[in-house]
Amino acid sequence: MPTNRRDFIKALGAGALATTALTAMPSTFTAHAADTDGYKALVCVFLFGGLDCHDLILPRDQASYDQYAQLRSPLLAQQGVARQRASLLPLSPASDGVLQGRKVALPPEMPQLDSLFRKGKAAIVGNVGPLVEPVTRASFESGAVRLPPRLFSHNDQQAVWQANQPEGAQYGWGGLFADAVLASGANAALPQFTTITTEEVGPFLTGRNAVPYRVSTAGAARVDFLEDYYDGVSGERAELLQAVRDQMAAKSYRGNHLLERDIAAAFSGGLETNEAYDRARQQGVTLPTSFPATPLGAQLRTVAETVNVRDRLFASRQVFFVGLGGFDTHDAQARTLPKLLSEIDGALVAFQAAMDALGLARDVTLFTASDFGRTLAVNGDGTDHGWGGHQIVLGGAVKGGEIYGSLPPPTLGHEADSGNGRLIPSVAVDSYAAELGRWFGLSRSELSAALPGLGNFDPLSNTFI
Amino acid sequence: MPIQRTHPVLTALLSASIGVLLFAGGCSGGGTSDRETGPVAGPIPPPPLPSPPPPPPPTGAFATEAETSRFLTQATFGPSPEDVSTLTGTSASNWFLAELEKPASLHTPQLEAYRAMIEDLDADFPVLAVQSSTFSFWRNAIEGGDQLRQRMAFALSQILVVSNFGGELLTDIPEPVVGYQDVLVEGAFGNYRDLLEAVTYSPAMGFYLTYMGNQKSDPATGRMPDENYAREILQLFTVGVLQLGPDGVPILENGQPVELYDNMDVTGLARVFTGLDLDGLDRQRFPSVVDAVDEWDGLEQAMLTPMAINESLHSPELKRFLNCEIAAGTPGAESVDQALDCIMAHPNVGPFVSRQLIQRFTHSAPEPAYVQRVAATFDAGTYTLPNGTSVGDGRKGDLSATLAAILFDVDVRSDASLTDPQFGKIREPILRFTHWARAFDADASRPEFGIELFDLSAPDALSQHPYRARSVFNFYRPGYIAPGTQSGAAGLTVPELQIVNATSTPGYINFMTFWAFGGQSMIPPEELAAELEDMGVPVDRAALERAFVPDYSNELALANTAALLVDHLDSLLVYDSMSEETKAAITATLEDQPVDGPGDTEALADRVSLAVLLVMSSPDYLVQR
Repeated sequence: MPTNRRDFIKALGAGALATTALTAMPSTFTAHAADTDGYKALVCVFLFGGLDCHDLILPRDQASYDQYAQLRSPLLAQQGVARQRASLLPLSPASDGVLQGRKVALPPEMPQLDSLFRKGKAAIVGNVGPLVEPVTRASFESGAVRLPPRLFSHNDQQAVWQANQPEGAQYGWGGLFADAVLASGANAALPQFTTITTEEVGPFLTGRNAVPYRVSTAGAARVDFLEDYYDGVSGERAELLQAVRDQMAAKSYRGNHLLERDIAAAFSGGLETNEAYDRARQQGVTLPTSFPATPLGAQLRTVAETVNVRDRLFASRQVFFVGLGGFDTHDAQARTLPKLLSEIDGALVAFQAAMDALGLARDVTLFTASDFGRTLAVNGDGTDHGWGGHQIVLGGAVKGGEIYGSLPPPTLGHEADSGNGRLIPSVAVDSYAAELGRWFGLSRSELSAALPGLGNFDPLSNTFI
Repeated sequence: MPIQRTHPVLTALLSASIGVLLFAGGCSGGGTSDRETGPVAGPIPPPPLPSPPPPPPPTGAFATEAETSRFLTQATFGPSPEDVSTLTGTSASNWFLAELEKPASLHTPQLEAYRAMIEDLDADFPVLAVQSSTFSFWRNAIEGGDQLRQRMAFALSQILVVSNFGGELLTDIPEPVVGYQDVLVEGAFGNYRDLLEAVTYSPAMGFYLTYMGNQKSDPATGRMPDENYAREILQLFTVGVLQLGPDGVPILENGQPVELYDNMDVTGLARVFTGLDLDGLDRQRFPSVVDAVDEWDGLEQAMLTPMAINESLHSPELKRFLNCEIAAGTPGAESVDQALDCIMAHPNVGPFVSRQLIQRFTHSAPEPAYVQRVAATFDAGTYTLPNGTSVGDGRKGDLSATLAAILFDVDVRSDASLTDPQFGKIREPILRFTHWARAFDADASRPEFGIELFDLSAPDALSQHPYRARSVFNFYRPGYIAPGTQSGAAGLTVPELQIVNATSTPGYINFMTFWAFGGQSMIPPEELAAELEDMGVPVDRAALERAFVPDYSNELALANTAALLVDHLDSLLVYDSMSEETKAAITATLEDQPVDGPGDTEALADRVSLAVLLVMSSPDYLVQR
């Protein structure tokens, strides 16, 4: 509910409600059960290109490390001391179930994540990936199992991760989660701020009703002409500016061409949503903590700023999407990946610090996703496309300091190896998403609707949130 | 009063520009004034004034000015008023044939000229060179006489993607991308099979898709050949992932699409692309090619030279993929040859490549029948133009025939396509800008002075910059169906909608505001010159003040009557297809700005700029029909 009626009226003022998002809202209430009390936000950090899972969680007991070092010797030779066993940051999960006596570690580029893990604010979910139904190595090799479409292909696996369909997918689970909370009455005043991205608009945040809003890290995009054409606005000048604004919002367009209508809607909706976002931000978005000046840092700062003005956006449930590219390390992995791991470490931890400072640690959960993991085998100075990968989950609501899912051994030919160390996932994306959705407030039936494949998997034995 | 030289909107725009300038450390631009141009270089003779036009050709493609303008919108970087008046009443077939014969405007000589200037100036950082792929692109696109060839190269650059977005070698050294631009320019009217070969051996692609220096497998260490290029040449450049019918529609078996290959095919094909490496690179000295920057004098030249094959690193194993088999022990060049022949023989290539080319010129969601006609031409390698002349050499993959089939297609050229509510495409942001520059004769001979053009890839700019896609998946995907839209509900693929969002729409409006209002000429020339000289860009003040200034004289003559001005822009920019509602609304808006009679030149100039901006921001303009 709006917290301040005057703000609400002001937000209405410029027609912020006249967006497709609202007109598309369902008018009838069915049995919607999503819990929309208080405030909760999910933040998806998508690592484009396929993060090398084998360089995120490394073996640390001597025997495993030696196996790993042999398979990865060309890379390790280039990485030098950074991948020597003594340099790794030991992870000591609360229980040993996943490791079965083995020991694992984070790379030395991630000291702050290591610290959050120790403090119980971060968890690892091992070997997550797209599945249609549970797969074993035997069923994979015999072909007696349904597999996700177009495995190992970037664009398709990004779409499958986000939306359970290859390229061309329409609705992602972030958007469908948003649909559920919108249908239960969340964010009724300004529904267009339910799903917000600082990245390309992919399928993840698109629901049947939820429409992703793209923000830039510089704040709301403004129209220079309308801001600056005249110094003061009055009389006939105001009339001109209003007329120009209406033109830029394609108000006069009456045609029937589908693409032109889409363009008109995009210009109109964009202008109005930007104006409303700008008004909310104008009252101050300053954060008590700082963020690293990296692309991911800037995006997560923008998310934190937006979370900080949630009341002025009248939002009780939000899903965010940020992204970082460069993980397709076919070559030069030793040179490029450590920098990216370091960037993740700095940005994620800064985000958690901001949420702590805002008193929202338990209300905001961040999680990672990526096209796929990568091969354990090396192709010279890099690695190739894999399947399952390990993910990081962060926040006060996370049962941190623990490793979930599975961590297959650093060898080839084991039961989760589909070839060259491309891991057969043990945790389906649907199961991973369901945990997050349940925490977000969705009912069981809403989760099943958003994640149609969920019924093919047993519930996770150990919930991470 | 409206806009003056010190007006806040321009002041703001200017400070933004200077900001860009300061920020864009990696910029170059020497300013080569001459390049190889097509035969139409030089002054275009004015159209004979009163002489009656010859009878229209039977095809109708150039029958009226509107039809000429529409055809050139589809086929070039934008119709200029001179082209439209000169060509109307002539044969479009003859125009097409003439375009095929024009000499190519190349990029590499421009880079060489930039390089020469840098040395002359003894600059410590080659900023001029770093951006030269951008500069030569703008120059060729806006000023090149070989418009059809340049436009085809640009279309191909969005299928066979190489990008200097990511930093590292392709950003630091201009040679690979500039050389690659010429691979596409020279191959634009050739055969797709030959183009694939040139692309495969190009250092730009070798570096971008990481097979430069790729080695055969090593059982001792478990090392495998890099799979990157093998996967993308299939998935993105030739056959896609699904079995297609001759109309480009996936074939279903038991209701499911059929995947063409699995990872075994990719690992099999990956063996083919081993042993390729930069010609002359000493791998003992430079295990990574990046280390050779500034350390090996031969690097730049090698980047302009096709890669060589090091047989000792080429896989001797059997190579099996897509029902093809290359015998064990086949040497590298022969393996590449056989692999490309085999891929090229696949029936998917015609519909897969044709559909994407159609999307770059005429139609985002082409009907299967249109795809089938073009794909059949691709396969046959020959096409008969409306005037009876045949183009293409009859070999599968002939791109001149394919392009003719796209542009002269009966459905495209029919009047019905103009009113079909699903026909057309969203104009690509880059093409909107080149169109503006060509329509208003803005001087692009010194693109290095156009500081706003140094990088347009940001989401709050155009989300599109030539040869600077974010990844090999281009700026947008050919199969993109925009969720939550009317085209999406109708199942239409509209790639360009993938870069339309709440940040990019004001980004485009702001970008066009700058150009439409003559922002370039509002930058204090001393400041701009000083900035450029600091970066080692030699400045010719007269040329600097001329750069990218639009010639609005035709428009100013009409501006006192807003409705006439809007009618004129409708013809010039939208081939007389704007809706009456849009025209009326823009006219009314322009009339809201007070003009004190025909003598009020300042207000009239503003009216023209605003009119250009509003037309170019209207849905009627943004969708090319």
